[in-house]
Order: sequence, then C-alpha cells, then structure tokens
Amino acid sequence: MDSEMMSPLAVEGLCKNYPAFRLEDVSFRLTPGTITGFIGRNGAGKTTTINSILSFVRPDAGKISFFGMDYPEHDREIKEKIGFVSAGMTYYTRKKLKAITDVTRTFYPEWDDAAYRKWLDAFGLDEGKTPAELSNGMKIKYALALALSHGAELLILDEPTSGLDPVSREELVEVFLRLKDEGKTVFFSTHITSDLEKCADRILFLQQGRLKADEELETFREAWRIAECGKEIPEALKQASRGCCRIREGYTVLVRKEDAAAFETREASLEEIMIHLEKEAEEA
Amino acid sequence: MKLLMKEWKLCMHPMGYIMLLCSALILVPGYPYGVSCFYMGLAIYFICLTARENHDAGFTLTLPVSRRDAVRARILFCALLEVIDLALIGVFVLIKYLTGGPENPAGLDAGLALIGEAMILFALFNLIFFPLYYRDINKPGKAFMFASAAVFGWIILEIAATYTIDFVQNVLDHADGKNIGDKALFTLGGLALFLAGTAKSIQSSAKHFEETDLSL
Repeated sequence: MDSEMMSPLAVEGLCKNYPAFRLEDVSFRLTPGTITGFIGRNGAGKTTTINSILSFVRPDAGKISFFGMDYPEHDREIKEKIGFVSAGMTYYTRKKLKAITDVTRTFYPEWDDAAYRKWLDAFGLDEGKTPAELSNGMKIKYALALALSHGAELLILDEPTSGLDPVSREELVEVFLRLKDEGKTVFFSTHITSDLEKCADRILFLQQGRLKADEELETFREAWRIAECGKEIPEALKQASRGCCRIREGYTVLVRKEDAAAFETREASLEEIMIHLEKEAEEA
Repeated sequence: MKLLMKEWKLCMHPMGYIMLLCSALILVPGYPYGVSCFYMGLAIYFICLTARENHDAGFTLTLPVSRRDAVRARILFCALLEVIDLALIGVFVLIKYLTGGPENPAGLDAGLALIGEAMILFALFNLIFFPLYYRDINKPGKAFMFASAAVFGWIILEIAATYTIDFVQNVLDHADGKNIGDKALFTLGGLALFLAGTAKSIQSSAKHFEETDLSL
C-alpha cells in the first residue's frame, strides 16, 4: 500500500469529452525511478491526457494523485515536486534565459542554484541568450534545467523529441537515462518510438482515446511478432492478423506471439507494433 | 508579490510605459481627457496579447500557484498601472491648473473631478475586460473590443453630460476651487467604484478561469 500511495503519478478512470474526441477511462500508475513512454499516433489523446493530468483542462471524470496527494487539491505541494516540459510551448521567446530563471527560482523554496549551474554547463546553455535564439533541442534542455533545479522528482514531457534531429534526440535520451540513474521518474509522450526502445522501462499505448496497453517494454514487444509475405496474404495469416502494412515486397502482418507458431516471423519493433495496431483500428 | 514581479519582469509590454505617458494628453487643449484612460486599456490589451504569444499561462500554471493566484496577480498588476496612470493624471492636472488655459469644450475640465472620472472609466474597463478575457485567454481582442466600446460610450455620455446635466456642467466641469466638497465626494465615489469594480473583476475572472479548459 505504501508504494502504491507513493506512486509519483496515479491516474484512475480519467475521462474527457470533446465534441469530436473522447478520452475514455484512462488509468495507470507510474513506478518511481523509471522511464515510462506514452505512445500513440497524433490525435490519440496523449496531450489531452497530459493536459488533464496537469489540470490545464478539466477532466469530466477520474482521479489524479501525485506522490499520494490528490490533485488539484494539493496543487502547490505537487507542483514543487514535478516538472513539465512541452516541445510545443516556448515561453517568453524574447526574454533572456537569466530573466526567466530569476523569476522562476523565487517560486521554489527548494531551488538549488548549484544544480542549476551544473545543468547549464552540462547542456551548454548560455544564460545571455533568449529562447528564440536556441534550437528546439536546447529549448527542451533549458526547460529541463529549470525543472531539475527546483528538485522535481517527476518529469512530465510532452513530445520532447519531436522535431529534433537524430543526434539531438540521442542526447536527450541520454539525459533521460541519466535522470533515471539519479532516481527521477520520467513520463514522456512521443510518437517517435525508436527513442523509447533505447530508454523506456514501461509503455503506455493510447489508441483513439483508450489505453490499449500498459506493460513493461520487453513484455509488450515480446507479445507480438511480424510475418512478412508477398502480395497475397495467406488466409491463415489473415485470420491471425492484428494489422497489416504494405511494403515494397508485399505485406508485413502483425500477429500475437501465441498465434505465430504456424508462420515464419521475426521480432516486432515498437514502431511496427504501433503502426500495425493503428492500421487494424482504422480498418475496424 | 512573486507573481506581481513575474508580471512586471516577463509580461510587461513596452507599450505599457509609453501609454502611461498618454496621461500628458491632459495638457492638450480641447481634448476629451477620458480618452487618455482608454490608452491604458490598450496597454493592458497588449500585456494580455504578449502573454498569449509567450505561453504565459502555460508557464504560470506549472509554477506552484493556483489559477486564482494567477488571475489576481494579472489584474492587480494592471490595476497598479492604472493607479500610476491616475497619479500621472493628477500631476498633469496640477500642471494645467498652475499654467492655466481655456476651459475644455470636450468633456470635463482638468480638475479634481477628472480624476474621479478616470477611476470610473478604469472600473468599467476592469469589470468588462478581465472577466471576458478569462473566459478565453486566447481571445484578448474580443474582450478589448467590448471593454473599449463601454469606455467610449461612457466618455460620450460624460461629454454630453457637461452640456446637459446641471450638476456636471456647473459643479464638476470646472477646474477651479469652487464646490470642492462636491468634487471630492465625486472623486471618492470614483475611488469606491474603482476598488469595488476591480475586486469584482478579480472574483468573476477567477471563477471563469478556473472553469475554463486551456488551449495552450
């Protein structure tokens, strides 16, 4: 019960209705000191989930707690322990980083200036620059430096690697792994699944507003296999198919591991699983 | 206090400083002086517009503060600018009084009652602009349009009153020391409206903002 209560983030039955979209009964619980990847295609509801978690939008139903404290009732205490970074949100583009930091630090009793300097150095950030002068990757790193300097134990990152070149993405993945080593919990949404293959412990897969999977990364991957075939998909494979994609030589077909024995299959990557399941959902 | 500093350091638009100087319009002969208050409203609109462009709400709401705190800070910061504007209006009224000049045909003369009138205009602006703005912080233009229309409507009524209502024409619309008690009472009434209007604005705006889904 203790470990349950101290989950950095626990979400139960989260629902949010919009005229053209519905987030339905999303429930999950993060484990301290792990990296959880939140995947799904654009429009699956990842940002809506994060916005609901952070009370940017008001959920229609559900319970959210951080570190055993209900949100938003304990929003001040909670916000001192979490950091939020969104690739889509760049704050005060024409203000110098120093000005933004000087304001930010006043709000946090636990602000650690030495840690801030350490992260600035580690990320190669110049406080004399403005966010407008930073690359997308550096903007994310600055937001991370702010979050880490006020002692955030949970980092919620919305599409932090979108729009970054492969080298910058790799650097960020290394940062996430370093944070994990320091005992921080990282929760990040992305549709770039290759980043998660390198660092995530757990995967949450959201599809059309519903949580389709909440599993360890390896368990999730091992549950699926990919069969490749020519331009005609055999009937037996069609029956076992959980989604198929056209490729140059023919088709790739996603099958459950327990159905795979009859076919020649190989390991499925996270991206392949997500794409094939989305294809299946589209066809359904 | 921390949020007020945040407003000043991160959200203040340079137009805010420039518009404060518009209180000097009181030195212009034959000018509807209430319009100088409209310019302060324009500065507040620029502040809210800049806040939107800089994702200020997203930044503020990740700080350990509530939505209500954020609303209160923004409105109090803007009210503080209005108070500075009032002080500057007072200074220019005094300069005008000391230097003399013709009576103003376009509304109240530059006297004590004008300061009361300015407070009424700010109360009106705050009461309309902020509650509308906090219904949807991505549309400050809509809130500004309605608040400006109300302010200009009131200025037109004020100008008309200086020709049609005896009390305004013969008591308030004079910059001299006569009827000082009535003018002081009018100005105190303006102060009461300014304080009550701003407090009500904070209350309504916070309620709207707490209920709103933010599109950040």
